[in-house]
Amino acid sequence: MKGQSLKTFVNGIWRDHPIFSMILGICSALAVSNKVENAIAMGAGVTFVLLATGLLISLLRKLIPSRVRMITYMVVIATFVIIVDRVLKAAVPDISRALGPYVGLIITNCIIMGRAEAFYVQNRLGQSLIDAFSNGLSYTYTLVIVAVVRELLGFGTILNFRVMPQGFTNWVVMAMAPGAFFVLAVFIWISRSIAGMEE
Amino acid sequence: MKSRIMMIVFILVLGSILTAALVAVASYTTPIIQRNEALETRKSILEALEIPFGEDDIEEVFAGNVQEKKADSIPYYAARSGDIAFAYAGPGLWGPIEGIIAVGPGFETLTGITIIRQEETPGLGSRIGEPAYLDQFKARRFADGLRLVAPGRSQADNEIDSITGATLSANAFIEILNDALAQKVPVIQQGELQ
Repeated sequence: MKGQSLKTFVNGIWRDHPIFSMILGICSALAVSNKVENAIAMGAGVTFVLLATGLLISLLRKLIPSRVRMITYMVVIATFVIIVDRVLKAAVPDISRALGPYVGLIITNCIIMGRAEAFYVQNRLGQSLIDAFSNGLSYTYTLVIVAVVRELLGFGTILNFRVMPQGFTNWVVMAMAPGAFFVLAVFIWISRSIAGMEE
Repeated sequence: MKSRIMMIVFILVLGSILTAALVAVASYTTPIIQRNEALETRKSILEALEIPFGEDDIEEVFAGNVQEKKADSIPYYAARSGDIAFAYAGPGLWGPIEGIIAVGPGFETLTGITIIRQEETPGLGSRIGEPAYLDQFKARRFADGLRLVAPGRSQADNEIDSITGATLSANAFIEILNDALAQKVPVIQQGELQ
């Protein structure tokens, strides 16, 4: 049992890494990775929704009729995302404003849908929660790595602290969408080489 | 047949439970969110009018320094200094931009502009919301409309520097401001005379 948990965790964080192995959640990884603070907040939001979805889907897995399982995931995910959005707006309006429309975009994050279909609907609660946590962690650390590179080159800062010398010319392309494609592609290439994955 | 009925029952039950959860969350958070938004608007009005305040005494400072008025159903806010503030809203590049404009007593120059809500690209278009950008609107004359020029080229007293990488958002922003100024200033001016 303990070995199984460890395996689930390592799979989520490395072997079946959602971004470089399964190429899921790329859309939001491209969109919110231009500043480290956005990346952290988005990672936290996605991790919470993953955990909540994993909890509910794995508890209901024997009840969900297989023909409507996709709709079920969608409704469950949408509900939790709306709850996160409302709670953030009420409790921490400043962070909510910084995230803007991205909280709503968690609904379309394929990692959550993908994990629900591949894992939570077939596995018990404990394993599902471990899987949700490790996938959320993978997503967050990937976003933060990409964001560190993009914020450093695009703005000369990290977490809004000036790192580069004053004369540094900001690489505007890094702050824009194409910069995300470059950095993410390099990240996927390096991690796949390390993991020894071949086509 | 039985499995079909089960399917419908499952969807109905799950849907009702989740809807109930959403209604509960909404009814609990809506008043708090509305209060946050009202507070945010007041804070923004105080900032535009350049009235100093602390995070905890926004309500008191607002009540003591700002008079809420209406001209032809357009709400506006008059400060003791004679400055007038009013809200603007319009479509940005990606989403609505809303905020407060403050003008001087003679209705000729801008004294402050704040943004309450915008959804422009973080790090690019969103830079229209940075204090350094908004500060250049101060003391600009708006009678002939504000004009956006290439970064670092502003000379005349109605010209505003654009931002590299945020051209479309800056264009949209100037247009919203010009529309709001042209529409609301004459009405408010009329209202103040009466």
